[in-house]
Amino acid sequence: MTTAQLYYLLNLLIYAGVDIIACLGLSQQFGVAGLTNFGFIIFQAAGAYTAAILSLPAASANGGFQSYIGGWNLPFPVPWIGAAIVGALIALPFTFLVGRRLRGDFAAVGLLVTAVMINLLVTNYRPFLNGSAGLSLVPAPLQGKYNPQGAGYQWAYAVAALLLAAGAFWLVQRVTESPYGRSLRAMRDNDIVADSLGKSLFAQRTSVLVLGGALAGLSGGVLVGYITTWSPGAWGYAETIVLFAAVIIGGAGNHRGAILGAILVPVGFEEATRYLPAFGPPGFVDDLQWVAIGLLVVIFLWFRPQGILPERRRIIGATNNIPNEDVVSLPGPLRASRGAMAASPDGPAARTSMQPAPFAGSPAAAARNDPVVLRTVDLTRDFGGVHAVAAVSIEVRRGTLTGLIGPNGAGKSTLLGMLAGTIPVTSGQVIYQGNDVTHVPAYRRARLGLVRTFQLASEFKRLTVMENLLSAVPGNRGDSLAGSLRGRRYWRRDEDAAIARARVLLERFGLSGYADTYGGDLSGGQRRLTEIMRALMTEPTMLLLDEPMAGVHPRLARQIGAQLLDLCAEGMTILMVEHELAIMDEFCDPVIMMAEGAVLATGTMTDLRARTEVVEAYLVG
Amino acid sequence: MSLFLASLGFGLVTAAVLAIAAVGFTMQFAVTDVLNLAYGAVMIASAFVAYALNQAGVNVWIGLLAAAAAGAVGSVLLNQGIYTPFQRRIGDAARSRITLVIVSLGMTLIIEFGLQAIVGGTSVSYTMSQGPTVRAGGLVLTAVQFVIIGLAVVVMAAVHGLLRYTKLGKAMRATSANRSLARNCGIRTGRIVTVTWAVTGALCGIAGTVFAINNGSFGATSADLFLVVILAAVFLGGPGSAYGAMLGALIIGLATEISAAYITPSYKDVIAFAVLLIMLAVRPSGLLGTAVS
Repeated sequence: MTTAQLYYLLNLLIYAGVDIIACLGLSQQFGVAGLTNFGFIIFQAAGAYTAAILSLPAASANGGFQSYIGGWNLPFPVPWIGAAIVGALIALPFTFLVGRRLRGDFAAVGLLVTAVMINLLVTNYRPFLNGSAGLSLVPAPLQGKYNPQGAGYQWAYAVAALLLAAGAFWLVQRVTESPYGRSLRAMRDNDIVADSLGKSLFAQRTSVLVLGGALAGLSGGVLVGYITTWSPGAWGYAETIVLFAAVIIGGAGNHRGAILGAILVPVGFEEATRYLPAFGPPGFVDDLQWVAIGLLVVIFLWFRPQGILPERRRIIGATNNIPNEDVVSLPGPLRASRGAMAASPDGPAARTSMQPAPFAGSPAAAARNDPVVLRTVDLTRDFGGVHAVAAVSIEVRRGTLTGLIGPNGAGKSTLLGMLAGTIPVTSGQVIYQGNDVTHVPAYRRARLGLVRTFQLASEFKRLTVMENLLSAVPGNRGDSLAGSLRGRRYWRRDEDAAIARARVLLERFGLSGYADTYGGDLSGGQRRLTEIMRALMTEPTMLLLDEPMAGVHPRLARQIGAQLLDLCAEGMTILMVEHELAIMDEFCDPVIMMAEGAVLATGTMTDLRARTEVVEAYLVG
Repeated sequence: MSLFLASLGFGLVTAAVLAIAAVGFTMQFAVTDVLNLAYGAVMIASAFVAYALNQAGVNVWIGLLAAAAAGAVGSVLLNQGIYTPFQRRIGDAARSRITLVIVSLGMTLIIEFGLQAIVGGTSVSYTMSQGPTVRAGGLVLTAVQFVIIGLAVVVMAAVHGLLRYTKLGKAMRATSANRSLARNCGIRTGRIVTVTWAVTGALCGIAGTVFAINNGSFGATSADLFLVVILAAVFLGGPGSAYGAMLGALIIGLATEISAAYITPSYKDVIAFAVLLIMLAVRPSGLLGTAVS
């Protein structure tokens, strides 16, 4: 190998390290958490600029031919650390865009536009970072002690870049394969449902923005130390698409895929072809490269959207090492869940104060022994001029399976949404366990034990049934960024307890054989069951069910009804929207009847049938 | 005062260009549910069609018609060949939106840099006369600038007439409000979507050409920044609302040009950017829009 070839090879290795770090950051954001960050490149740019101004001497030192802020002349490794920190910190202003419930494509556009504008600002405002000319003569790390042009130095740089890439892989893998990673994937598959199960979308999106931002910043720092120059031309918005192409082609949701994508697209496609002979007019080859990047993205999304290395299925259910045999022998799913918690004394319930005290009779619940679990005062919701729900005041008593019936458009689902916090209230109050929760967000209500299911099937499609169930468990020690970073040993016991409870529920509802099936591959009835089981995994005090038996075989519907009655007998409270009167007859008492946004009557089904206006509302409405 | 009047005049011209572009973009989004980021690329590609004719000796205003036709054909092809197949294959609305926004960004690269590979990286200008300087109500503008404003007024009136008084317009509004319900009411929504791409594509082509005329010189990637301004106008008025886009275009057009006069021209688009981010953060449904879920 000639020297030139060696340097070329080392150059490729260093680029590989840089691109792998960046792609892993994007893979965590886009592939795992479903955050379409079209502004990703500005995080890398921020890291590169930070490393540059930390390591450069003051602006006047080189005769003042470039002007920039900073210039602190700090020794390695401070610039790299600073790059990662700044990459993480500039993620924070963006959380207002992605943290709230904004349509994913709107947020993506906001981030794209931000990337375009920040590039414009940096280009036009020269005193900040030397404008369009950019920064040059950035000192290479330790260049006073070693010769950056020496082969040994280049080798060391390549090894350092690849080691950092390995570290980045370890980091994102640790987060993704934890309970927290599962929550991120749940948010990716359906954010509204994740919210209703107690996941804070804001906190989760902030944490992946910060994590991905830190990795992007670090990649920028490593890159600028090697190429010693950085200018706005290096980080146009289109560079983000190159990284997206890499993640999509490699396999979104699989970090190994991101590594493969980084090697194939930015390294293999852009850098490796840099020294090929040019043809055509100036810029022609560059233009064709961009066209090819666009084509790669579109073609892969069409023919192989899962990428070369698809996300792997997490098999949990098939193994049979249930940690505590007693758990299985307990009769009801709830007893079993308590048994499982007893098996881990410092389990979730014992630790978090947010944790609902689920059942009447347990010591914490005794303090709230109000027979009325939930009531509303003049609850109203307007859509435009339509009063979908108008001044509804209801009470739901502890331990009842209360039915909610009414013709289509009566406002049942809207009412349920307001109770759960997924639909904002126009006026009126929701009082839960004696507290006004009218303005408490959905995820906080879920953590207080007020949990809903949805009318349309809402399983997390790319989570297995087992993972769907586990995703709902509150208070898992591994279900936070910090907890996930502390590793499996830290959260293993919580996880095992949750798995044990999930197995009992699966057994109970007859879905044990489907534990490792993807939610998206289930039949309609199985999806409803999964959703009910998932809600039960949150250990709710009160369950809000929106047509849980719709599309379910009548025999299965009766089984579900019987299970629900069992749960109520153990102290749970359930409010259930249902159209099937036979179900109401058999299981629900009392029944609330709604029509045109108002409560028409409340009582047993027998009472209701006796009242003519009720019959009329159903028949006419 | 004269500085204010001068910038007001420029603001009106920018607002006119912007209004044509933003109305097309927002109608496209309303009816088809595609946030078509390749809109700017189609604009500039259409402007180059007019440029090719202009180079061959054709008057640029006739070239404008050809650009409208090119924009319509290009947009219909883009939809039939790319967007609709993706929407059909994915099904699930939320996932399909994300995929489509990525695909549209990929198409932006393909169109813009494909174009640049053909026409080269240097900027070009139409061969045309700016006409005499016209003074009206204190404003001093060239005849061409007045024509652009007049053209925008005509286009806005035509869009208003289309949406309000024609069967096609009603069908477009119905499809926008609820596609499956519209289909069940006997509206051939597939055809409405295709016609919408043709109409909005024509607006896109017109907008591209007047943008190029107004800019003086243009290149294959010139519309990148202008797309930000279009998006700002669209989101200010409310995505999917044609009247909102008109209002948004007027506000953004005036705001960018007047601020350019008093602050500095290099940052005039930053106003648009700030407006866009504030709207996304505070009221994504816009000034005139209803809640977009």
